Amino acid sequence: MFDRTQLSRRRFLSNFAFASGAVATGVGSWVIPAPWANAAEAPIKVGIATDLTGPIAYAGNADANVAKMVIKEINAAGGLLGRPLELYIEDTASNESVAVGNVRKLIQRDKVDMVLGGITSSMRNAIKDPIVARGKTLYIYPQLYEGKECTPYLFCTGPTPAQQCDEFIPWLIKNGGKKFALPSANYVWPHTLNIYARKVIEANGGEVVFEEYYPLDQIDFSATVNRIISNKVDVVFNTVIPPGVGPFFKQLYEAGFLKNGGRLACVYYDENTLNINQAAEIEGLASCLDYFKVLTKENPFDAKIQAAYEMDFPGNFLFAAGSAATGTYRGLKLWEAAVKEAGKIDRESVAAALDHAKIAEGPGGPAEMVPGKRHCKMKMYTAVAKGGNYEIVARSSGLVDPKEC
Amino acid sequence: MANAFVAAFEILSFGAIIVLIVLGLGIIASMMGIFNFAQGEFVLLGAYITYLAYAKGLPIWAGMAAAPFVVGALGFVLEALIIRRFYAAPIVAMLGTYALGLIIRESVRGLIGGFYLTVPEPIGGSIDIGAMHISAWRFTIIVITLLVMGGCYLLLSRTSFGLRVRATLENPSLARASGISTPLIYGATFAFGAALAGLAGALIVPVFSLFADLGLRFLIQGFVAVMVGGVGSFIGPVAGAGVIGTLSAALPWVMAPVVADVLVFVLAIVFIKFRPQGLIAGKGV
Repeated sequence: MFDRTQLSRRRFLSNFAFASGAVATGVGSWVIPAPWANAAEAPIKVGIATDLTGPIAYAGNADANVAKMVIKEINAAGGLLGRPLELYIEDTASNESVAVGNVRKLIQRDKVDMVLGGITSSMRNAIKDPIVARGKTLYIYPQLYEGKECTPYLFCTGPTPAQQCDEFIPWLIKNGGKKFALPSANYVWPHTLNIYARKVIEANGGEVVFEEYYPLDQIDFSATVNRIISNKVDVVFNTVIPPGVGPFFKQLYEAGFLKNGGRLACVYYDENTLNINQAAEIEGLASCLDYFKVLTKENPFDAKIQAAYEMDFPGNFLFAAGSAATGTYRGLKLWEAAVKEAGKIDRESVAAALDHAKIAEGPGGPAEMVPGKRHCKMKMYTAVAKGGNYEIVARSSGLVDPKEC
Repeated sequence: MANAFVAAFEILSFGAIIVLIVLGLGIIASMMGIFNFAQGEFVLLGAYITYLAYAKGLPIWAGMAAAPFVVGALGFVLEALIIRRFYAAPIVAMLGTYALGLIIRESVRGLIGGFYLTVPEPIGGSIDIGAMHISAWRFTIIVITLLVMGGCYLLLSRTSFGLRVRATLENPSLARASGISTPLIYGATFAFGAALAGLAGALIVPVFSLFADLGLRFLIQGFVAVMVGGVGSFIGPVAGAGVIGTLSAALPWVMAPVVADVLVFVLAIVFIKFRPQGLIAGKGV
C-alpha cells in the first residue's frame, strides 16, 4: 500500500513549491508552476475559479483537485503544443463580490488563457462578464444547471434539464407512479428546472399534484409532508437543497411515504449527499447524473480516473458528479482536445475548435460538444440508493442531447 | 380529524424545539443583560459533540449526556476569559460574542469539511396511531423540553442558587454586600445558559443533521422570540419562543411558505411596536 506518512523528497519539494506559491500570490490564490521551463515559449496558463471556502467548499475543493490531477496528467504527457501548463487557482469563496475581484486577478494579473469554474448559477452570472466580455477570455462552466446560458465564449460541460429529465422522468413514471410533487427551494435552478420537468411529466401521461417553493433555510417541512401524504403522491421530485433536504426526507420517511411505496427523486444527489440522511430514510431514492462511482465496476476508464483521484486526494472531497468534479474533468479534456486541434492558444481559434470538440473517454463515457450550442452531449445514468450506495438501474443508449441554445 | 391531530403534533414539536433553543439564550439575556450572539454556536457545539460520540462508535445517549457538560464548561471558561470584560458595554459584548460565534462556527465547518452529516436518533422510527405516523424522536423532544423547562423554573424560583442569581440580577451591589460572589454567579449563569444550548443542540441534531450553520439558522428566530417574550424574566423568553415557534410551524399550513417566513417577522415587529416590553414584562422568574 501507498504510505501517506512517508514524506519523499519529491513530495516535500512539491509541497514547498505550492506553499511558497501561496505566500507569493496572497490569500486565496494558488499557483502550481509548470514543471519544466521552455526557452522558446512561456507556459500555457489555466485559471480555476471555484469555491474553496464557504458552504459549498466541499464541491469547490473537489473541482480544484480534479484540475490539479488533469493538469499534472497533461504535463506528464508532454504538455500542450510542446508547452507546459501552469495552473492558477483562485477562491470564489461562495461570495459573488469576493469572486469578481479574484477572477479579475486571474485575468488581469495572471493573464490566464482560459478560466474554468463557478458552481452555482449566481456565481456563473457574477463572473462570466469579467471573464468573457471585459476579460476577453474563454470560460468553461462545469456544473449541472438549469440551462439557458447562451453567452458566446462560455461553454457548459455539465448536464442540462433535458439531459436530466428526458429519460429519467419516464423511468420514474414507470417505477414510481403518475402523481408528482415538486417541492423546491426558492431560487433560479428549481424554478427553471421545474418548468422543463413539468412539461416532460405531462407529456408522458403524468400529473403534477403540487409545486411549491420554500425559503432556502427552511428546515421544518411538516405542512409539505402532510400535503404529500394526503394527496397520495407517487413521486417526490425534489429540488430542496441542504440544509432543508435532510430534515425533509426524514420527515417524509417518518410519515410513512416510503413504506406506502412512494418514490423519492432528486437530480443533484450523488455520493456526497448520501451522508445527509440515514440509509433507510432515502432507500430507493433515484437520481440521474453523468457519473456514479459504482460505474468503476464496469467501466475501466472510470476505474482508472477514480483510482488516480483517490490516490492523489484521499480526503473527504469526493470525485462526484453533483459537485461538478466530472464536469471539470470533461471541460479540461475537451479544452485540451480543442487546443491540440487549433494548434494555437488565442481565444478565437480555441473557441472555434472547442465548438465541436470530442473526447473518446471521460467520466461515464465519451462526450462531445454540440456545434453552435456550446453545450455538451454525454451519457446519462439513472441510479437508485440501496443501503447507502447507488445501483445503476437505467442508462441512456447513446449520448444525450443537451437541447440548449 | 386525524389530519388536525398530526398538524397539532408537528406544530407543537417545532414549538418545543424553539423553546429548547431559546431557554439558554433567554436565561443569559434576562439574568445577565448580555445578548449572546454565540448562543447558536453553543447549540452547534452540542450537536457536534453528539456527532463525535456517534462517529467514535459510542452510544448516542452518551454524546447527548456529555454535550451540556462540555459546552457548559466551555461557557464558564469563555465567560471568565472574555465575556466578563464586556459587562459594562452591552453593544461591544454583542460584537464580542458574535466574533466568538464566528470562530466556533468556522472551526466546526473546517472539522466536518463543510458537509451535512446524519446522526441517528437514539429512539428512531415513528409511533403509529391508526393511519397516522408521528415521529418518536420529536415526541421525545417535547417531553424533554417540558422537563427541562420545569427544572429550570424550579431551579430559579425555589433553590438558594436561583435566589442568588435573581439577587445578582436585581441589585448587584447589594448582592455583593450580602456576601454573594457576583462574578461566580455570572460565570455559573453563563455556563448554565451555554449548557442548555449544548443540550438543545444534542437533541435536535438527529432531526436536522449536523452542518456548520445549524446554530445560525435559529439565532435570529431566538432573538425575535426573546424580544416578543420580554427580557428580564425566565418565563418571558420561553413564552416568546412558544409563540414564534408555533407561528413559524403553523403558518406554512395555511399559506405559501415563502410568505409565511416573512410574515412571522412582520407580526413580531408589529407586536413589539405596540408592546415594547414584550409579552411578560418585569424582572424575576
